[in-house]
Amino acid sequence: MNLLVWTLAVPLVTAAFGSFGGPRAFKEATMVGGLTLTFGLSMATAGQFLHGAMPSAFADALRVDGLSALVLVLCGFVGVLSATYGAGYLRRNEARKLVTPRMRREFYGLIPAYVFAMLLVSVSNNLGILWIAVELTTLASVFLVTFHDRDTSLEAAWKFLVLGSLGLAFALLGTVLLFASGQGRLGEGMAALHWTRFMQVAPTLHPFILRLGVVFALIGYGTKAGLAPMHTWKPDAYREAPSPAVALMAVGMLNGALYCVLRIHLISKAALGPEFSSGLLLTLGLLSVLIATPFILVQWNLKRLLAYSSIEHVGIMAVGIGLGAEAGVFGALLHMTYHSFAKPVALFSAGTLSQLHSSSDFNRIGNGTFTRAPIASSLLVLAAIIITGSPPFGMFFSEMTILRAGFLGPHVTATAIFLAALVVLFCGFGFQIGRLVLGPPRDPSDRRKPLPERFDLAMGTVIAAAVLAIVSAFYLPAPLLALIRAATRVVWEGA
Amino acid sequence: MTRDILILCAAGMLVSAYLMVGQRALFTAIRLYGAQSLLLGIVAATMALSEGRHDLFVTAALTIMLKTILIPWFLMRVIDRIGIHREIEPFLNVPASLLVCLGLTVVGYRVSTGFPAAAGDVSHHLIGVALSMLLIGLFLMVTRKKAITQILALLTVENAVFLVAVGVTSGMPLIVELGISFDVILAVLLLGILVHRIVDRFESMDVSRLSNLKG
Repeated sequence: MNLLVWTLAVPLVTAAFGSFGGPRAFKEATMVGGLTLTFGLSMATAGQFLHGAMPSAFADALRVDGLSALVLVLCGFVGVLSATYGAGYLRRNEARKLVTPRMRREFYGLIPAYVFAMLLVSVSNNLGILWIAVELTTLASVFLVTFHDRDTSLEAAWKFLVLGSLGLAFALLGTVLLFASGQGRLGEGMAALHWTRFMQVAPTLHPFILRLGVVFALIGYGTKAGLAPMHTWKPDAYREAPSPAVALMAVGMLNGALYCVLRIHLISKAALGPEFSSGLLLTLGLLSVLIATPFILVQWNLKRLLAYSSIEHVGIMAVGIGLGAEAGVFGALLHMTYHSFAKPVALFSAGTLSQLHSSSDFNRIGNGTFTRAPIASSLLVLAAIIITGSPPFGMFFSEMTILRAGFLGPHVTATAIFLAALVVLFCGFGFQIGRLVLGPPRDPSDRRKPLPERFDLAMGTVIAAAVLAIVSAFYLPAPLLALIRAATRVVWEGA
Repeated sequence: MTRDILILCAAGMLVSAYLMVGQRALFTAIRLYGAQSLLLGIVAATMALSEGRHDLFVTAALTIMLKTILIPWFLMRVIDRIGIHREIEPFLNVPASLLVCLGLTVVGYRVSTGFPAAAGDVSHHLIGVALSMLLIGLFLMVTRKKAITQILALLTVENAVFLVAVGVTSGMPLIVELGISFDVILAVLLLGILVHRIVDRFESMDVSRLSNLKG
């Protein structure tokens, strides 16, 4: 059987095993083993691509080009991190007798299922399958949002599902309109919705219907990526979902949704010229960065803070693509890669702090966490330094690449606003994390004592992820860099 | 003849959307949704007959089975279990809502004039109706408080999308359509489960009460 099919089949089988009962060690081993194997397979698939083959399956409905390969590998990577940290996360809760059998079933079943759906998104060459896969990611993650079964998690899940379904209804309308704009030239059957088919007939697509379709599809998939103004589900879902699931949302889902946005953008670019969808992406991206700014400054919850940071970063990537320069596209994809390395460290260390204090609200955690949980606090500070784009880490360079492309191109005013927002965001995020970690404890007497920090599986995962994030800043493996270049070629030249 | 049936059904769908806006009893709103889906099924079947596209028969059968029977039955069961039967006063009262919807219909028809004339005047009507329904669905979603009404609004939007698919493209590839139907069913199921949990927890399904998470 095809390597690509195996890559998708393994997480699906893992999910099936996980949702049945069984001893804990078995379930942990299945999830971690299954998702590690998945990561290996996704790297092997990307390796096939780098050796000149174009892995595909089911009559080209699934197809791996440069962009797919990059998103696939990053998604597989975060899958392993989530599984390992997730096993440790659940162990900590088991030790405190907080885990019910329902939770175990949902956790071990839904996390691999979510990974499966995201991998399917990243290799879809068919706009219909792409839509179905994105809907599957939504459905797989709803019960991860309600995982802790609090009042607020129901609220978050409701917003997540309703807004997500609405976004997907828009994306579906966009897909239907794109199909309609072909006016029969796309042909019959499954192949008519292939992205490659769209690219072949792009110049003959009906411009008015196509424009309408592109707007709906970009807003629809933008909702899943968390682009403003359809981002409001994100802070709620991030706060309520357990951190391993949030990592999947913040990296895998974000990259996957951006992948959908890029596919639509490329069709639009080939048919209508670069201005139309680039302008839209630039606007949405800039709006996301600007909207995230005030909320980061006044934030009251650690995980919501990270949600707004993720809205900011998807905005940065959208701006990079929307600038309409090859360097901007390269910067955006580089940013996506560095973000995938750094974000899990931030989420896992923040998740550890929240778990020790049984809450992620700033006033429940209390300032000065460094004295109580030095390892997790240091890791959080490290992650904050990386994801705010400080030198010498990778995100500084990717942001510089985007800014340089912007100031050399036609959108100088937009780039200037973008730069100003980035500076404010840097200060705001630094202030929030600095206050939390180093600030003086307000009143040491009236707070409940947090749990002591222990070196366990989850902590080991965070440290490993942090090492990888630091190493990646100075040394990107040659194959990974080749993938980023190949993806840039896809986004810039459309092939 | 075909033309008349299509236009009649499309008009019926639009009317059902208006009635849904004017409706406070949840059972009636669900029945209206069922009727709307039946009309969508008839549109698909008529297209299948007149254009000889047999794929569309599957779409029609699926639409009628799932959206006319299964989903309304499921939603009614949810309502019966939780024992809440009426929508409370919406954020905007009914006459004002209907006026807004009238405006939305004009917008929908205006946008539909941009579609190519070659598609014929029937599909022009279908697109006009579909876009109006889409906007009305969005409007319902933001002005209503009950969780069930929000689900119905979402489903109305989804019906509108299918009307575009059937009316303009004569149907998407069959396997894609099957996948979409499966996902929609699953989404409704999950929404139903969430409504259950929300009612259990808050003893109400006013989504306006779900407002603890801000900032």
